[in-house]
Amino acid sequence: MDHMLSLIIFFPFVAGLLGFLVNKESIRSYGVVIAGIEFLLSIGLWIAFDTANAGYQFVEFSALIPSFGMSYYLGVDGISLFLVVLSTFTVLVSLIALNIDNDVKNLIIAVLFLEMTMVAVFLCLDVILFYAFWELSLVPMLYIIGAWGSANRVYAAIKFFLYTFAGSVLMLVGILYLGYLYFQATGVWSFSLPDWYLVQLPFNVQLWLFGAFFLAFAIKVPMFPFHTWLPYAHGQAPTIGSVILAAVLLKMGSYGFVRFSLPLFPDATVYFVYPIAIIAVIMVIYAAMVAYAQEDMKQVIAYSSISHMGIVVLGTFALNAEGITGSIFLMLSHGIVSGALFMLVGVIYDRRHTKLMSEFGGLATVMPNFATVYGIMLMASVGLPLTIGFVGEFLSLAGFYRVDWLVTMLAGSGIILGAVYMLSLYKKSFFGVVTKEENRTLKDLNAKELFALVPMVALVIALGVYPKPVLDTIDISVKKMIVLMEAKAIHVETKAFLINANSIGEVQ
Amino acid sequence: MEKYLYIALFAPLVGSLFVALFASRPKMLFTGILASAFIGISMIASFVLLFHVYNHEPLHVEMMDWISAGNIDIPFGFIVDEVSVIMMVTVTLVSTVVHVYSIGYMDHDKSFNRFFTYLSAFVFSMLILVMSDNFVGLFIGWEGVGLCSWMLIGFWYHKHSASWAANEAFIMNRIADLGMLMGLFLIYWNVGSLQYSDVFEAVKTLNPALVGTIGVLLFIGAMGKSAQFPLHTWLADAMEGPTPVSALIHAATMVTAGVYLVIRCGEIYTIIPQVGFGIACLGAFVAVFAASMALVNNDLKRIIAYSTLSQLGYMFVAGGLGAYWIALFHLMTHAFFKSLLFLGAGNVMHAMHDELNIKKMGGLYGSMKATAILMSVASVALAGIYPFAGFFSKDKILEVAFNEGAYFLWFALFIGAGLTAFYSFRLVMLVFFGEKKYGHELHPHEAQPFVIYALMPLGLLAAISGFFEHSFREFTTRLLSDYGVHLEHHIEVILIASTLGIAISGIAFAIYMYGKRGGFSACWEKSFGYKVLSNQYYIPKLYEMVIIKPFGVASEFMWKKIDVKIVDFTVDLIARVLYASGEKSRKMQSGNLSDMLRWMIVGIVILLALAIFYRPMV
Repeated sequence: MDHMLSLIIFFPFVAGLLGFLVNKESIRSYGVVIAGIEFLLSIGLWIAFDTANAGYQFVEFSALIPSFGMSYYLGVDGISLFLVVLSTFTVLVSLIALNIDNDVKNLIIAVLFLEMTMVAVFLCLDVILFYAFWELSLVPMLYIIGAWGSANRVYAAIKFFLYTFAGSVLMLVGILYLGYLYFQATGVWSFSLPDWYLVQLPFNVQLWLFGAFFLAFAIKVPMFPFHTWLPYAHGQAPTIGSVILAAVLLKMGSYGFVRFSLPLFPDATVYFVYPIAIIAVIMVIYAAMVAYAQEDMKQVIAYSSISHMGIVVLGTFALNAEGITGSIFLMLSHGIVSGALFMLVGVIYDRRHTKLMSEFGGLATVMPNFATVYGIMLMASVGLPLTIGFVGEFLSLAGFYRVDWLVTMLAGSGIILGAVYMLSLYKKSFFGVVTKEENRTLKDLNAKELFALVPMVALVIALGVYPKPVLDTIDISVKKMIVLMEAKAIHVETKAFLINANSIGEVQ
Repeated sequence: MEKYLYIALFAPLVGSLFVALFASRPKMLFTGILASAFIGISMIASFVLLFHVYNHEPLHVEMMDWISAGNIDIPFGFIVDEVSVIMMVTVTLVSTVVHVYSIGYMDHDKSFNRFFTYLSAFVFSMLILVMSDNFVGLFIGWEGVGLCSWMLIGFWYHKHSASWAANEAFIMNRIADLGMLMGLFLIYWNVGSLQYSDVFEAVKTLNPALVGTIGVLLFIGAMGKSAQFPLHTWLADAMEGPTPVSALIHAATMVTAGVYLVIRCGEIYTIIPQVGFGIACLGAFVAVFAASMALVNNDLKRIIAYSTLSQLGYMFVAGGLGAYWIALFHLMTHAFFKSLLFLGAGNVMHAMHDELNIKKMGGLYGSMKATAILMSVASVALAGIYPFAGFFSKDKILEVAFNEGAYFLWFALFIGAGLTAFYSFRLVMLVFFGEKKYGHELHPHEAQPFVIYALMPLGLLAAISGFFEHSFREFTTRLLSDYGVHLEHHIEVILIASTLGIAISGIAFAIYMYGKRGGFSACWEKSFGYKVLSNQYYIPKLYEMVIIKPFGVASEFMWKKIDVKIVDFTVDLIARVLYASGEKSRKMQSGNLSDMLRWMIVGIVILLALAIFYRPMV
């Protein structure tokens, strides 16, 4: 148990390296087995996790460069626990459903490397280490999109890489500066996040640093107007790339807000609540409208991701336990739902080699199981109660209502617009009569696809009906973080804002 | 007793899930029978609960926790009190009839099994809606019935109009749901709980303006489900669904959910009579507005749909004016006679091979006596003729309006009563009497006997349920605030007589016009008023022009112009500038020694200049 987290991080890496020795015929099952073990490890982590403890658990610490305060520092709390589980789960199901034959060995190894970086991003408590894995995660993704994508893949891959990479550069500057400030304040160097949590920063400095981190996170989420890499990346990426990108990589950005921006810069966070809330509203409405205009099924889901991430951001910046817990839960639910939706698009793409909705119609008759699973995911996506999608959306919006009802109402229009684009997608593709001859003979979901999708459906329902174990675990860590924010805030107004946001009282 | 509660609630779910296993198989008769049996069990359990609540006390269980985060704590809790048990009995009773009926009606449909999956799932959602002990639980049912309605309206999804109508219904309901959701948030942040009991206790001490906002927001939710103006257009389009669906969902149960919400939140609306009055005004408006559209429509199902809309308006008048038990009473009797009317219409459609235009029917009495009688009973009940059910419940609503001194509301409802009687009997006359207008290739036949027997209970209830008025009042007002009409006796008699009078003259006029005279002359149909009415006041067209089309255009604009041409172009532009500047400055690195020396000189000059002019440290 002492090195549980290291094991979870490096197991896929080592297995990936060994994967070069595995012969081509058995690499697929090798990948699934490794991802399965990794998933079980993360489940084991959840089981061993003490849900009554709000702090970091399974902490591992050893100094790397003591003179500069860099260390190998890992830990997990309620906020990151489920994101780790989500990552390993997503990799597992996407490998099960994998449907690529050329160069599959390299692909699987790339995915395993990617898994390491994703898990590490959520588990690292040393900021330099975090940054290293944050950037490292781009490389396998670049490779996956650039090598296995469709026609315009190189442009998309490079755009994805450069855009996100450029965003993170400022974060590096911010990290170094913050380390320097810590040194100034205490006389010792440290890049460990829990140490940083203890420093109070002057307001001006907070503003600048908030900005530096913000750009990196905003591009990753992606927030309007930094979102345009996403449609290209999704449009060109192979199914497995889209699934992982939507399910996990985007969550790194929103996780960054919760883990860094909020507790490190509480005053700046409160200062920026409204501008960010407005961006979030724009994301919700704008992306939903653009999604409605799309002709390509995959692009609809790509833009819907932006729309949903808008609610995530809004929930985070509600700065109360309802909103933040809700937004983290929404990250999980969006991970599962959008992952499943991309996988479903992959299913139909494999059969027809097109994603244009105008090419389909009447699929419900030809592929009833496919239509059913799609329908369930669609309902989860529009946030129907008793599906996983409702819980996070409800809590996020409820949380922000305490801050501002108008913004909440505008963002809440996402539940209408979401229904508009999703139902019109469903109508165009699944309803009506079969018009194209080649659609008549399409095969319904095969065993492999069912094996990947059924667990997702089960999760969507199970966590929709009984989200409590997950919510409680998240909530306790979130509450601790809010207490920390309030204690750290230097402005009285910030403290007042936080207290107000977290208490019941008369609001309009 | 808890046992019965769980049986009543979950039997439909079990039925639905079990039948779902066979959903994609060809028709299997046992799925229909089994689903009906499960609903029947639920109905029996509901009746047991009714007697329990009547003789003992309400029942309240908390099954398990659902959502908890921050201060929010929402359980799956269920309450069976005087209001919810009435709803349960009504819902399960009508559902059982509709299920049994559907075995006959959907007989030839290839998706027979799937139909019962959806129908039972609907009953489960509806029961969740009425039995929940908190607002979010209600919202589960609220959205659940929306989902089932979407699946059932679009049941014949190969038809474009059906899938369009399904989406319209879902989206329009979502618009209202946003209002409701906002209401829930407002309640939560002011009260700290979403349990009915806590909320109703707390609103008494809240700022009335705030309570007013809560009331309005919740009512916006109710407007969507109950299809009140301006969110009414989906209901008529929802008639694309199979007729049993229209009977169950779009007449008897789901659309009354909004009324149920107002009744359930009576303790909120009592505090804010102004909002209640607004609700009543809207209700009265819809009552006449919808009835007027029913006057000229020729579509069998749409006429009944408009009639439903109009009757929902009546219920909202009662609810808005604080006469909750009367609203609930009308809700119940209406469920009986309206579902009967729809199911009868289903028989007619079957006989006429899915013809819906009543102008192409006529004279069906000869071949379908039972259906004709049942539908006439339902129509008489709807028109409010003594001693049928509608007389007791609808008349009460008119008395309430008069009693409140809202004479113009009373007048609107009075006119509405006349219109109702007229269009109901216009339908009956055109369908069952007069001369045959269908081709000779059609040989209309009565529905199977078990279908008719299944309708009997509804027919009976439509005829006699009005007589339960006093025990109903005694029972429901244990929970709801009582409302008594205090009019002088002779005024009351005049009111009843005049309402009865206008209803009877409406019927008589319809019979005279369509029986004796053979209908209105054709030039009538060219008049302006007729066109406005038959085009539903051009409201669907207006929505299409003002909302749907512009939304599509705006979305297209957002994507093709803003997203691609502005946002993404800017990003690429930055990249291109960087790339181009690199490309241009690459020439500097020519490898030529004299070039290098020249650049070195430039560098030295710049550095010198900096050293001289820029002194940050000084």
